[in-house]
Amino acid sequence: MPRGHLHPISSLIREANAIFYKLGFTIAEGPLLESEWYNFDALNVPKDHPARDMQDTFFIKDEPGSVLRTHTSPVQIRYMESQMKKGILPPYRAIIPGKVFRNEATDMTHEAEFFHIEGLAVGEDIGMANLKFTITHFFKELFAKKNSSATSIEIRLRPSFFPFTEPSVEVDMRVTGENIPEKLRGKWIEMMGAGMVHPNVLKNSGVDAEKYRGFAFGMGLDRLALLRWGIDDIRLMHSADLRFINQF
Amino acid sequence: MLISRPWLQNFFDVTLPDAQAMADALTLHAFEIESVKGEILDVNVTANRGHDCLSHRGIAKELSAILNISFSKDPLAKKGTSELQKADNLAVSIENPILCSRYIAAYIGGIKVGPSPDWLRTDLESVGQKSINNIVDAANFVMLNIGQPMHAFDASKLTAKDGRFHIGIRNAKTNEKIETLDGKTYSLADSNLAVVDRNSNTILAIAGVKGGKSAEVDESTTDVILESANFDGIAVRKASQALKLRTDASLRFEQILSPMLAEFGMRDCIKLILKIAGGEYKESMDEYPRRQKEITISITASEVNRTLGTELKEQEIFATFTRLGFPFELNNETFAVTPPFERLDLNIPADLTEEIGRISGYQKIAEMALPTFPKAVDTNKNFYTAEHVREQLISVGYSEVYTSIFSDKGERAVINKVGGERPYLRASLLDGLTEAVEKNARNKDILGVREVKLFEIGSIWDAGKEQVVVGIAGENEEPSELPLQKYANELPTPASYENYPISKTERYRPFARFPFIVRDIALWVPDLSKSEAIGDKSQSFRVPATSEEREVEKVIKDNAGDLLVRTELFDRFEKGPKVSFAFRLVFQSSERTLTDKEANAAMENIYKAVRDRGWEVR
Repeated sequence: MPRGHLHPISSLIREANAIFYKLGFTIAEGPLLESEWYNFDALNVPKDHPARDMQDTFFIKDEPGSVLRTHTSPVQIRYMESQMKKGILPPYRAIIPGKVFRNEATDMTHEAEFFHIEGLAVGEDIGMANLKFTITHFFKELFAKKNSSATSIEIRLRPSFFPFTEPSVEVDMRVTGENIPEKLRGKWIEMMGAGMVHPNVLKNSGVDAEKYRGFAFGMGLDRLALLRWGIDDIRLMHSADLRFINQF
Repeated sequence: MLISRPWLQNFFDVTLPDAQAMADALTLHAFEIESVKGEILDVNVTANRGHDCLSHRGIAKELSAILNISFSKDPLAKKGTSELQKADNLAVSIENPILCSRYIAAYIGGIKVGPSPDWLRTDLESVGQKSINNIVDAANFVMLNIGQPMHAFDASKLTAKDGRFHIGIRNAKTNEKIETLDGKTYSLADSNLAVVDRNSNTILAIAGVKGGKSAEVDESTTDVILESANFDGIAVRKASQALKLRTDASLRFEQILSPMLAEFGMRDCIKLILKIAGGEYKESMDEYPRRQKEITISITASEVNRTLGTELKEQEIFATFTRLGFPFELNNETFAVTPPFERLDLNIPADLTEEIGRISGYQKIAEMALPTFPKAVDTNKNFYTAEHVREQLISVGYSEVYTSIFSDKGERAVINKVGGERPYLRASLLDGLTEAVEKNARNKDILGVREVKLFEIGSIWDAGKEQVVVGIAGENEEPSELPLQKYANELPTPASYENYPISKTERYRPFARFPFIVRDIALWVPDLSKSEAIGDKSQSFRVPATSEEREVEKVIKDNAGDLLVRTELFDRFEKGPKVSFAFRLVFQSSERTLTDKEANAAMENIYKAVRDRGWEVR
């Protein structure tokens, strides 16, 4: 009996977990149907703020205050809150892989439902230098390990804005090396949003924002898969088409 | 926002670097750049900087800090208009100071409306604006220059009572109508804010969004009343959304502006109009019921370094604040910073940390390994279980899919799906899986699989709750699903994760999406192996491929042309000295739908080659 095939997204999550587990990250999870409190308010995105427009949100019929989560960030709050309720103080480290939703028209690079992976590290001594290390380490493991030794991975941080991080940055990655697909090779590619957890997010989770700080990052797994394997259409992820899946 | 390099140059004595160099500097220290076309940059101002950076002055200020060049001609450096509380012929009444924290009106008489001077027209057109006339252009220029939206009314079209004009800012009445400058008529809601002529009680403008036709400036205008105001961002945003009317003004008010900015806008606009349209400034009325409070934020170098993971010295932070033009005091290692009035984004120490980080440059942050995690890492039981189930199913031939959570039936629905199709949240995985099995079954020949077997691990919404279930479906079985929790209950609490394999695939190859054509060929071939190995007869089907099989396949492939995409032996038997082979051939083009004729032609070639070898087609 020939083996079946693992979906590339599951393969990426499996790989990411293996990388982050060694760095002390657990896996946290939360519901896809989320409250506006966790999806927005607790993450320092006030009502009627233009920042809420940044993410086109699906609202649920006859259930005001419920949305399909637009990112995995609400799980940051849920995770920290649950730890605090159990009396477990930081340090915390968690990754959050899972499905997220944006209400937009779909095309080769846009999907209304896709996968995110979020990372969160909170402690007394966590700074952006740790964020930089962690992300670089992840990309090196993911992109450089299997390739020839000539491959090098660099990242750079650019200023950005997210209500739930301060400072906020965009992370670009540049891969150089022989076996790198031309689309990727030697170019700065935007990979994820990241930053230092906003003090209000810590406060809203019940964590002492004076004593602790943390970093967080979030990125699209579908896009990561596109870059990793040279996939040309993001809609293949949810196509359930074995002509696609059987290649992995 | 489109930003012109020559325009930016107005703020500096030194020559700015070229557009690309400015784009690079902004990218690494402030904002993403959408494009650079000649001297024009398209700057993606982030949602937290709409207060101060939707203007050339805002971008110039950023560049002065980033490039460390003197911001020698900052229009916001000196005070704006002196605040006049009394004007003889002009009154302003604000009904609700929450929605309008400031309104300045100014009267200019004796102007001559006409085309704008070349420099102004060029500036406006370079950033995609249309030149209308010198008055409208002046107001527009001021907005694009310092970020304060301005408006001009033709004074003769307002009603004066005892020689006195009276501007009011109040909520519109339900269904109150206004014809805007573009000739469209809008019916307002009572939540919309309106600028009105109090003497005639007519609406002059949708506050912060668009001016009305009734007081439009045209060629015959001689006297204007200028408006420089501060309208509430949320009110403007709601009005703009409800009326589906987004303007350069509404875009800026939505981001929330400092009421202090209004006086600078008025000062600059009066000056510019007098310069390019002549006339005489008469008086102004500044109604400013809600003043902006000055704040102070305190931070130390050690706090900055703790957050950034850097070792910045006090003098470096001192230098960065100076470059940013932030007034501050340094006492006992504590910087007490008073943010400039237009920087409404700066409220807490972390905001200042970001300023230091981005201006001094994030590239200065070294990578630092995470401290060793002092506790045991929790293993997530649900993930552990899902991984276990995946491995079990894959090992017995099931492939994993993800299907959409949206369905045409279910307990819950979204209200605002683009296109409106399949708005329900699925109550089961089975419809999606069954559909996927059917779809894939049609491709079995091209996939080269004997049986389509799929599974999905995903969320469903059923019986009032969301839960993760494992669904299984295949061609030869009833689809079924079980909660992941059921599987979890059977498994022990894991101490660590299993080391399951990840995909070894290097590159994905796009597959052809055009229909394929299947043809079978069966033929007799002399058993070449017979003379060599006697035990071969008992050899089981397909394992290993015999030399004849390989040879036959080669002949087929060599003669089938480029359209043959898959060959598979599906039958083999021996009779006396001969062996019968039956192959399934799949033809497909990646560019077009194949015709039977093309498949037939390929088959003819194969038949001919086979016969030439003396093999017999059955």
